[in-house]
Amino acid sequence: MVENSPSPLPERAIYGFVLFLGSQFGFFLYCLWAFIPEDWLHSIGLTYWPQKYWALAVPIYLLVALTISLLLLLGVNFSNTAPLHSVDNITDVYAQGQRTECTRKGGIPRLKDVSISEVNKMFYLSPESGANTN
Amino acid sequence: MEDETFTDISGKSICLDCQSHSSFCREFTVSSPKVSIGKVMVYTCSVWLLAYAVFFLTQNTAVLSSAILITLVGMMFHIHFVKVDHETLLVIGSLGIQVSSSYASGREITTFIEMSKIKDIVINEAIYMHQIIYYLCVLLKDPSEPSAVSSVVPLFQSSKPRLNCLVKVYKSCQEILSKSQ
Repeated sequence: MVENSPSPLPERAIYGFVLFLGSQFGFFLYCLWAFIPEDWLHSIGLTYWPQKYWALAVPIYLLVALTISLLLLLGVNFSNTAPLHSVDNITDVYAQGQRTECTRKGGIPRLKDVSISEVNKMFYLSPESGANTN
Repeated sequence: MEDETFTDISGKSICLDCQSHSSFCREFTVSSPKVSIGKVMVYTCSVWLLAYAVFFLTQNTAVLSSAILITLVGMMFHIHFVKVDHETLLVIGSLGIQVSSSYASGREITTFIEMSKIKDIVINEAIYMHQIIYYLCVLLKDPSEPSAVSSVVPLFQSSKPRLNCLVKVYKSCQEILSKSQ
């Protein structure tokens, strides 16, 4: 079984270099198309290219979309946060459905979600030794 | 008895008053600071100066009268619906708890929750905007399913006290609740 790992491999180096060369070449072609006047392109015979307007519009569209998407991500995170009166802050489907433990004598208790009432008693009601718990 | 100063989550000082009416009845009142006259004057002056500047540019007198109307209506709306003067929690063992908040204009909103519906009063931590805060809340249970939490009622929402104040109220409430459940 081949192990997947993120370490550098020769194949990955080749992929990276091919992508690098390809993107540099693509940028060079884009600059060519943006700067050469339309008449020269027509005279060679390349007539069916997009308007030069898009040479400016596409980068600006992409940058504005990137900025707005960052703000949108922040807004989506804020609105998906459970409000203070929601039960999701206390418990959820998995904690409510956990099986009650059937402890064997001397065995390690099963891993479970401790209820908020127990946690509160341990933190705030136990004598001063409880205040030193981390 | 040491005199602790309590603050809310943003640092403004608040006042906690605990009254023990009997061994099974306690009342906690958290009071927020009153509306300061300085802030009112700053807001009013800035709105009126802005309106005068707009009037100076447009020479439209309706701007001035509308600014006066807006400040008056805004102040009335603020003290009647927004500014909470104090919030009260009254715990009566074996009967229930009563939560009430009174606004600066004197309006009071009261809610009563009977003891059979109350599972526990706990201090929970939750994400609130960009921070995590402690807040006191009542866990309600459905009488048909006593082991599950059906809903949560957060307490002291407008004053949002910090942990030292909440722990005092929590310890006091638990003394009564443990006897009556």
